[in-house]
Amino acid sequence: MHIPDGYLSPDVCAATGAVAAVAVGVSIYKLRDVLADRVVPLTGMMAAMIFAGQMVNFQLVVVPVSGHLIGGVLAGLILGPWAGCLAIAMVLVVQRFLFSDGGLFTLGANILHMAVIGSIGGYAVASVVRRFFRNPRVGTIVGAVVASWVTVVAASALFCLEFRLSHSPEDFKFGNLFALMVAIHSLIGVGEALITGAVVGYVLAQRPDLILTNAAEPRRGLISGVGRVTAAGTVLALCVGAFLAPFASQLPDGLDAVAEKHGFSELGRSAWSLFGDYNNLLPTGNWQSLSVSLAGVLGTLSVFLLAMGFGRAVSLGSRAVEAGRE
Amino acid sequence: MSEYLDRYGRAKSVCHRLPPRLKLLLSLAAITIGMLIPPAHWPAHGSLLCVLFAALSLARIPFRFVARRLAGFLLVVLMFGITVPLSQGFRGGWEMMAGIVFRGIESFLAGLWLVNVIPFDQLLSTLRHSGAPAILLAILAFMYRFVFVLWDELDKMRTARRARSFDRGGAIFRWRNAAQMIGMLLIRALGRSERVYGAMCARGWDGKLRTLDE
Repeated sequence: MHIPDGYLSPDVCAATGAVAAVAVGVSIYKLRDVLADRVVPLTGMMAAMIFAGQMVNFQLVVVPVSGHLIGGVLAGLILGPWAGCLAIAMVLVVQRFLFSDGGLFTLGANILHMAVIGSIGGYAVASVVRRFFRNPRVGTIVGAVVASWVTVVAASALFCLEFRLSHSPEDFKFGNLFALMVAIHSLIGVGEALITGAVVGYVLAQRPDLILTNAAEPRRGLISGVGRVTAAGTVLALCVGAFLAPFASQLPDGLDAVAEKHGFSELGRSAWSLFGDYNNLLPTGNWQSLSVSLAGVLGTLSVFLLAMGFGRAVSLGSRAVEAGRE
Repeated sequence: MSEYLDRYGRAKSVCHRLPPRLKLLLSLAAITIGMLIPPAHWPAHGSLLCVLFAALSLARIPFRFVARRLAGFLLVVLMFGITVPLSQGFRGGWEMMAGIVFRGIESFLAGLWLVNVIPFDQLLSTLRHSGAPAILLAILAFMYRFVFVLWDELDKMRTARRARSFDRGGAIFRWRNAAQMIGMLLIRALGRSERVYGAMCARGWDGKLRTLDE
């Protein structure tokens, strides 16, 4: 699962590293208000728990291979998205230094895939899904299952994007890689979904307060409505891209089609206005498709960040109203 | 599990005597050089590998240990890497995959050398002196402290399960069992974190980690 060094080019490593650093920084900043000196013991223990829990093997029935928990969605559901993101990021750092799992330069990409998409995105997806159910327990379990599958597939889709950006576009069959990676990861996702669902179900049966109070209290929930929908939308968009890409690969350039679909359906107008003239970014012949997709990624991220800021402003406003009433 | 971690970190050799920050820089430099060498320059990759193996033997890390860890790593990286020729056709794909595998091995060996010439706590304090964010290092230190405790807890739970079920039952039964074990571990870990937090507060914890070397 961990991307080793050598897969991604230095610029992609730098970009993903920057995004991951921002995500970790934002997580710490968010947690300072809510958890204060509790951050270290709670996050550290959760990280240790996920790390230890990954030693529990799940035997596959058909092939003699065993899988294990990834844990992003689980951490997000128990601790809330920010602490969950931080915990998984720390798991990845320790795995890199002590087990040499994954690369040093690709650490940012790994954090982006498993901690940011897994925990923040997974939390967002789960809490959107949860609203469709009356019974909070059923909603939580279904949300956890759906979020686990979606985040694993979305992470593999994002990996394919990064891999594509790392290598020269000529004689590179993007659609094939996409189809293969997504096919493998949708199976892995089923495993992760079953494990997470079973663990969440067990915890709900034993100590429902650990999960349900988290959902009931908006302050511990921490992502506001708008940001939540945006995060879920971003993750879903990557997922949709994953399914469209194999079909789109019939076209001259599969990625461009996907980037356009992203551009029109998910990014909305602001991406076009921010990076309106795509070709200005990297104006050399072969790089054109690369700059389009890079602009797509940047656009997605900037919209995501804008929505987060907007959501924060809205939630601050509503909190002020509540305080006024009291 | 202890044999996987920084097993030789406290051994003595030329490499262990280097200043901690230099060890960190050397390992970073080796990984960076590996990244900068173009994939098809096999002699350059080969000589970097020779240097890394020389460094590992200078640090007196037994070859069998390196070989076992490397075999485990290669299994993963080859499984991951085989997707490239499978999806890209077998002409250019193999070369791309070979480049990826070589860089992966170089990075892996440099990392293995680093954790086995410097104990984890020293690595953390070196990182702190190099300006890494203190709160992350505190979380890492806490995690390192308790991951072994939780592993022991997991071992106890495994023993208890074996004593009761003799490891029998169908696939669904085993999956449910394993998931319940993780759930139980989670509940116990959160309870433990509450107790530890209380104990830390009683000893004047204010959110800042203090170490003896300051």
